[in-house]
Amino acid sequence: MSIMELNGGSCVAMVGKNCVAIACDLRLGNQALTVATNFSKVFPVTPSTLVGLPGLATDTMTVWEKLRFRTNMYEMKENRKISPQTLAHLVSSTLYEKRFGPYFVEPVIAGLDNSGVPFIASTDLIGCINFAKDFVVSGTASEKLFGMAESLWEPDLAPEELFETISQTLLNAVDRDAFSGWGAIVWVVEMDGSEGKVTKRWLRGRMD
Amino acid sequence: MNATEVPVGHQFDPYSNNGGTILAISSKDFCVIASDTRQSEGYSIQTRYAPKCHKLTDKVVMAVNGFAADGNMLVRTVKQRLEWYQHTHNSLPSLASIARMVQTILYGKRFFPYYSYVILGGIDRDGTGGVYSFDPVGSYERESCRSAGAAQSLIQPFLDALVMGKNQSDPSLVVKNGERANLPLERVLAIVTDAFTGATERHIEVGDGLEIYVVKTDGVEVIRKELKRD
Repeated sequence: MSIMELNGGSCVAMVGKNCVAIACDLRLGNQALTVATNFSKVFPVTPSTLVGLPGLATDTMTVWEKLRFRTNMYEMKENRKISPQTLAHLVSSTLYEKRFGPYFVEPVIAGLDNSGVPFIASTDLIGCINFAKDFVVSGTASEKLFGMAESLWEPDLAPEELFETISQTLLNAVDRDAFSGWGAIVWVVEMDGSEGKVTKRWLRGRMD
Repeated sequence: MNATEVPVGHQFDPYSNNGGTILAISSKDFCVIASDTRQSEGYSIQTRYAPKCHKLTDKVVMAVNGFAADGNMLVRTVKQRLEWYQHTHNSLPSLASIARMVQTILYGKRFFPYYSYVILGGIDRDGTGGVYSFDPVGSYERESCRSAGAAQSLIQPFLDALVMGKNQSDPSLVVKNGERANLPLERVLAIVTDAFTGATERHIEVGDGLEIYVVKTDGVEVIRKELKRD
């Protein structure tokens, strides 16, 4: 049994027309035993960027705290919010620091930069960045998410359409994964003038 | 990817994994059984055209996936048993009967199994479409929709959503427990094609070509399509 499969959990992020969406399931387990059904793996970094950290739950929490520290310091020093591209590189260097004793998380990043251009990325557990143009997947249901996203995604989806697409992608994928599920949350990020507007929705799914 | 999972020592491994993916979807009066045509071993492609679907009778098609040598021998065995059946009974068995026979053939090698995931598809005695799926030692179940092979984890959730209407709120799409989906043929063919093109994109062992068998009450039709060869 792999360490990445101890707690379970999955995330997916997708690009739409002037918007991005990121979603995760809510399960936290200890192998087959489900311990919590309210464990979100996605965290907001700026008003228009979020990061998902599926994998070993203790590392989900630790990497989030390290990232929160580093992005807060960035904001204090630079007097501006970190852009999603820079955040991706920050995540990458944070993980590569532990190259020979890594954090067991495989992050996904989603956000809009200052000019509202959508950005998504994912990294492996030692920080190799995948700059995808369409979607990124991670977690115990990653293969299922690949299959769903590859068939359901199309370019230039409006925010409401993107919400439906990412929701169906996540729900049907985690329903086939014993270690993911027990509810899901979807965040859709769009530009409202010059500010990021995030809509957060809980999904009703199979509770098993 | 864990160091604790690497096997230690050397011994002759009688099995090999030849990749590929198969799927079958049934509806009220037809059944579609499809497979890609790539046969691989590790990162090498052995051949771009090795079909995994085999016509058994005018009403039944058998798809095998896993270890190609075992799959091909299994098909030969099943075809031989059907010949013997025809000689003794002067007719061919129904889909459900062939399914039961496949179980006994597979379980016959319970202690040195055929490394084959079998999907049987066709029209049963009452004229309705049906899909039977098996594990390598013969456990089987009748379903309306099943994928197997390398890209099973990619394709099955897609089938759950589009064929069985799972997680959808439109009541006309949802298939209740125990019932069979009732989609038109063009829609099923589109779903099959999309499933395979999606799997081809994201799974290295899937590609080259797609062979779709359509079984209707009046016979079997084959549709061949190209898939990406990379």
